[in-house]
Amino acid sequence: MKVKGAIILFLISISLTAQNYKFGKVSKEELEEQSCSLDASANAAYLYKYRTSFFEYNQNEGFVLITKVHERIKIYNKDGLRYATKAITTYKGSSDEESIYGLKGNVYNLVNGKVEATKLEKGGIFKEKVNKYYNQTKFTLPNVKEGSVLEYKYQISSPFFTHINEYQFQYSIPIKKLEANFRAPEYFNFKVNTKGYLNVIPKKTTKNGSIAFVNKSRSTGSITTTTYNNSKVDFIENIHNYSLSNVPALKREPYVNSMRNYRAGARYELSFTKFPHSSLKYYTTTWDDVVKKIYKSSSFGEELKKTGYFETGIDKIISGENDPKKRMMLIFDYVKSKVQWNNYYGIYPSDVKKAYKNHTGNVADINLMLTSMLRYAGLDANPILVSTRSHGIPVFPTREGYNYVICGVEVLDNIVLLDATSRHATPNVLPFRALNWKGRIVRKSGSSAFVDLYPKEKSTNTVSLSIELDEQGRINGAMRSSKTSNGAMNYRYSYNSVSKEEYLEKVESKYKGIEVSNLEVLDNLNPYKPITENCEFVMDGQADVINDKIFLSPLFFLKEKENPFKLEKREFPIDFGYPYRDIYRYTIKIPEGYKVESIPESKILKLPDNLGDFSYRIGVKGQIIQLIADSKINTSIIPPMYYDAVKAYFSSIIETQNEQVVLTKQ
Amino acid sequence: MKLRHITFSLFLLTLNVFSQGNLYSALTIPEHLKKNAYAVMRSSETNVSINSINGMVVKEKRVVTIFNKKGSKYVNAYVHYDKNVKIKALQAAVYNEFGQQIKKIKKGDFEDVSAVSGGTLYSDSRVKYLNYTPTTYPYTIEFVSEITTSNTAFIPQFFPIRGYFLSIENSTYKISYPQHISLRKKEINTEEFNVEKEISEGNIRYKLTNVEVFKKESYSPPLQTITPKVLFASKQFSLEGVETTVENWNDFGKWMYNDLVKAANDLPESTINAIKELVKNEKSTIDKAKKIYQYVQDKTRYVSVQIGIGGWKPYSASYVDKLGYGDCKALTNYTMSLLDAVGIESNYTVIFAGRNQRNMDKDFTSMQGNHACLTLPIDGENIWLECTSQKVPFGFIGSFTDDRDALIIKPDGAEIKRTKKYTKAENSQVLKGYCSISEEGYLKADLKMISMGIQYNDKYRIEDYEARDKDVTYKKRWNYINNLTIDKIDINNNKAAIQFEESLSLSAKKYSKNVGDRMLFEVNILNRNAHVPNRYKNRTLPFEIKRGFIDKDNVEIELPSGYVVESLPKNASLENKYGHYKTEIVLNQKNNSLSYSREFSVNDGLYPKEYYDSFRAFYKEVARLDKAKVILIKKQ
Repeated sequence: MKVKGAIILFLISISLTAQNYKFGKVSKEELEEQSCSLDASANAAYLYKYRTSFFEYNQNEGFVLITKVHERIKIYNKDGLRYATKAITTYKGSSDEESIYGLKGNVYNLVNGKVEATKLEKGGIFKEKVNKYYNQTKFTLPNVKEGSVLEYKYQISSPFFTHINEYQFQYSIPIKKLEANFRAPEYFNFKVNTKGYLNVIPKKTTKNGSIAFVNKSRSTGSITTTTYNNSKVDFIENIHNYSLSNVPALKREPYVNSMRNYRAGARYELSFTKFPHSSLKYYTTTWDDVVKKIYKSSSFGEELKKTGYFETGIDKIISGENDPKKRMMLIFDYVKSKVQWNNYYGIYPSDVKKAYKNHTGNVADINLMLTSMLRYAGLDANPILVSTRSHGIPVFPTREGYNYVICGVEVLDNIVLLDATSRHATPNVLPFRALNWKGRIVRKSGSSAFVDLYPKEKSTNTVSLSIELDEQGRINGAMRSSKTSNGAMNYRYSYNSVSKEEYLEKVESKYKGIEVSNLEVLDNLNPYKPITENCEFVMDGQADVINDKIFLSPLFFLKEKENPFKLEKREFPIDFGYPYRDIYRYTIKIPEGYKVESIPESKILKLPDNLGDFSYRIGVKGQIIQLIADSKINTSIIPPMYYDAVKAYFSSIIETQNEQVVLTKQ
Repeated sequence: MKLRHITFSLFLLTLNVFSQGNLYSALTIPEHLKKNAYAVMRSSETNVSINSINGMVVKEKRVVTIFNKKGSKYVNAYVHYDKNVKIKALQAAVYNEFGQQIKKIKKGDFEDVSAVSGGTLYSDSRVKYLNYTPTTYPYTIEFVSEITTSNTAFIPQFFPIRGYFLSIENSTYKISYPQHISLRKKEINTEEFNVEKEISEGNIRYKLTNVEVFKKESYSPPLQTITPKVLFASKQFSLEGVETTVENWNDFGKWMYNDLVKAANDLPESTINAIKELVKNEKSTIDKAKKIYQYVQDKTRYVSVQIGIGGWKPYSASYVDKLGYGDCKALTNYTMSLLDAVGIESNYTVIFAGRNQRNMDKDFTSMQGNHACLTLPIDGENIWLECTSQKVPFGFIGSFTDDRDALIIKPDGAEIKRTKKYTKAENSQVLKGYCSISEEGYLKADLKMISMGIQYNDKYRIEDYEARDKDVTYKKRWNYINNLTIDKIDINNNKAAIQFEESLSLSAKKYSKNVGDRMLFEVNILNRNAHVPNRYKNRTLPFEIKRGFIDKDNVEIELPSGYVVESLPKNASLENKYGHYKTEIVLNQKNNSLSYSREFSVNDGLYPKEYYDSFRAFYKEVARLDKAKVILIKKQ
């Protein structure tokens, strides 16, 4: 029996070593494969994906960061052909830039049972200046068909050694074999943060390395002599190795804040450097270090300290107002109206003074200016570092984890959140982009703490309708709605620049067949008030008139039409962005000569763990039907374990809303 | 003396403020031009000077007042350049609502980026554009540019109304040209808009003033077919260093064939032999052509690279043969060369691709089109081949290039021909379904749908969706059925017959609503039209249905055994110039089932705006009838 076990092991090891990942060593088996063994629906797959990043010492330039990449891709069908084209983006600084070299590519096809290779030639490589900061090298491989295997490798040499591009371990196509490593001499201390929902942990080892120097010394005397001597410095290299097999494709799901949060990967960030004969230089290690580092950098802390440029302006505004809260509002509104956001993100201002003068600036210009002005006015205001929704969640302390900054004003035990980049923002109502998990408040003293960014207050939409139904199933009535907080803000973003006429057309096309008149929108320009809409409407075909009976679902055109959750299963949390409550109050007058035969039951539907609920209360009083439908989602984010419950809940809401009222002719 | 002097200069000053400030202040815009406007073109001056066959200068100066975010694009504050187009001047200035200058932008402050558009891998063309963040609305921008170019093949057109919600206060266009160059022009909709015109020796000038905005309305024809436009072309022109003389499409065709296309037919001997071998057992021309088309689809892929004259000249056939990729021109030429290798004639064809069926202008010869495809004449009929797709069936062009005038390039000239039109009858969807509803309201359905023509076009990509996305696609198709589960999906993309066959099984709990002893459900279970065109209180534009279609449904519905029919929807029959709708419901007492049949068709056509309300009413009625309910009642 034991012998048999050994044989099996032996066989396995043979099949393992049969894969050859050396460049150019593509096997017939790889070419013959018809569909991906990991995922039959894959259009293409990485058969092999390799990356190494390490430091090389060069006497002229010092340490240079080298990244080598080698990828082998199998194309299974025509939709996979797009993986035969690749773009590599490189960064350009003011004096230095990253460069690509050693780009080689091959395509392999099976021709009459034999592996045939076609090379990537110069004509297939294109270099392009994208803009001031980036270059792109694009290439497209020749002779690629269904079944082809393609392969390429290249190196990037970068002078920006404090910045290591994120390691990504998951893509929209599966990966059969992934190998990656990161090597750094002991002089560099990097912090690694792995992320994603595949738990990836590097294997850590060390190795001895050395740098050879050539020292040139000149002695000037009667004869000038130049002597060269070689010296060698030994060091220890820290190595992180990653080896993954059969990584599934990462597939997009709706209601996810950013897929970046779930993609497996690793980020490296420099904590400190310690070179021989020189002192420690800190970059980051802890949240406090991150914050200190940001705070101390001249472009953040110094900009925050400047007050001269606005003093006269602010003095004028707050003179005579001593209430701190009112002062806060005056200054907040002043910045909102004075300086417009230029759509650039970032935690570092470009120049607050200039932004003030030119009335336009990036996020940091605006919100640091705001913070500084509030401090000047005696408020306890501090910047809060934020990572926007599209930027992902900063789980670990890194400077690069943040790309946005807002302002927090501490009043007693509360922190009021302010973002002056949007004219629709109000205290504690932030633009949707900033609603992402937690921010980090940075206090004057240098201490810092997490601040929850998700709104606690529900955005409400309260709709009252008074409706008259006629014998043909036609309704006419009046509607009044009122929206608050983020719901109102979204409305303002979408419709404030749309003409009234156009808005009416949008409303009518949303509720197909409705005819709206006397539409009136109030307070759409005043973010401190809810948005109120009033209108009148008529709509045909809102009830079924059959013989002497009329059947209707009493929410009419406002009932939920379809379940937004269509996937059978879900991997990632559902992110609504903010909690909300929708209340519909109906007063329905039924046609003369009819009476209510039956109405649906009143009921309450609940999501588990108080995540949300829906109540449906209906009653009749003579010719009048009264209905209140009230639905709540109490939290911004719902974990995926509740997905089935959420899907079923929405389905039940639709069912309930579809239940029929029956009227009979008297 | 002194006094007089002062008054005089003051007077001058005020005059100056008036004439200058006028244009830069948003306060001076006439009310009717502000109505619904995102932006107002205060003044637009385009000056084109053709100095020689290979020298043209284009100066532009625009003053635009912008009222909201969406209006910013009407500044068009960008210029393209490449090795033949040089920017001589570029600047802008921003004014506040009152006409005071608040910012000046120099050439160096414009962003400089590569002009690669989506879908293109590389292009040597670049663009400089103005990236300005407005601090308040309204504001006014003045934009000034000047370029020189050695290409005279593309003369800027006069096209003042560039988009919806833009009103025109003043827009002028001037072109001057030397005697030895003869200039042709074509005026479109200029009389309807009272465009002023001045013509003198070597000079032409157009001016449009006071035009209110066009509002966007659904189903309206493309704006450029209903607003004024003047096209220009020079008989003698130069394109990337190639000079030629062209008066009509025939000349154009000869030039294009001889200078741009002919030399690209250079297949290596080995490929010619291979292709002969490939088709040697095929008897008919069409079967040979089908084999070759398949060969191209298997071997190549679409990659767009635009360098220099590459924008017009196809890469050679040997290049595609070696690399296995190319853009529309290269792949079209490659297919043409392969057909030629076995003695089949086909013709390189220039066309405007896109859903809105833009024509090559029959009676105005100039550089036009944005795409290339292949025309294959067989027995007096033209078959159109789209060479950039690896998936479409032979001869299928779909909404990408259907029903429009295309330019067919032949060795001895060129001709304009209409591409295939997919008629209403061809754009069909035939549905056969078997449904059952249980006493609890549980719906089960098995159905087969066959789609052809443009309806094939709308669906064939589903075949390649992964399982999860197919599931969601079908849930969206029947989004009006709550609790829907797609139990079985079986797709047959029949490329030979160009029909898309979908066999599906669906189920849904609580499809019907149970109210006391009664059960209600919509009798049209599987193909409901919910679309109602938008309503316009005052429709201003004509409307157009580009492609007609017809749906035919036959569905058997097995009723729950404990129930009998109390009420059935009436049979419906609508017929008008927009289409027809007809339903029939038959109760089969014996097995307690319903036979539901439905036909819904919409005709293609262009109609005046006055008809819009009745067109909308037709759709609205169909949407209502498609929700008609059956009522069952429990057996006593």
